[in-house]
Amino acid sequence: MYDRRRRRAFPRRKVCRFCADSKLKIDYKDAKQLKYFITERGKIIPRRISGNCARHQRQVTLAVKRARHIALMPYTTIQPH
Amino acid sequence: MRQYETLFIVNPDSSEEDLKAVATKIKGVVSGMNGIVTSYDEQGKKKLAYSVKKQNKGYYVLMDYVGSADIVSEIERNMRLDDRVLKYLTVKLADEVDPESIEPAKSEPPEETESVETPEEEAQPPEAEESAKEES
Repeated sequence: MYDRRRRRAFPRRKVCRFCADSKLKIDYKDAKQLKYFITERGKIIPRRISGNCARHQRQVTLAVKRARHIALMPYTTIQPH
Repeated sequence: MRQYETLFIVNPDSSEEDLKAVATKIKGVVSGMNGIVTSYDEQGKKKLAYSVKKQNKGYYVLMDYVGSADIVSEIERNMRLDDRVLKYLTVKLADEVDPESIEPAKSEPPEETESVETPEEEAQPPEAEESAKEES
């Protein structure tokens, strides 16, 4: 219980995935990996949620935008209704 | 000399000969401008994230080359004129590449990171950080 409350008071600090593992490369051709950083609708997930550091978030953003341009990733997902 | 890579999409309906014709044409442009093609990798047919020129699929080709800056505009001009090429994207990989250190075709130049790509795939479980922090 006590643990729970503390957790709410201090939300767990997310660690930047790319800083933690230097083997991970950000590549616009690797759409499978970039998928973690976009929502179902195709928006780029903000830093405060993805937990990336500023530097890597910039690189992710650039990679996603490149992948969109070359049709590896969607700009948006059309919702049929 | 600079190192570039161009990823482009060829019309999936085009025949084998068409693919070959595109390859020889683009490579010819590079060598015609005193560039060196360091790799020409046909990645095959993939589904497009959105339709391009009424096509839902595309044949992706990744080409690496070394050359001067005006080579890019010449390649892109040729791709724009060619109906078989749906879309292209050129990215600069490195400035100031020594042309002597580059071997044409097949073997990758040293600054290329492509070969490191295979092992990282299994290192992917996204939320491995869960157990990392135990606030006391």
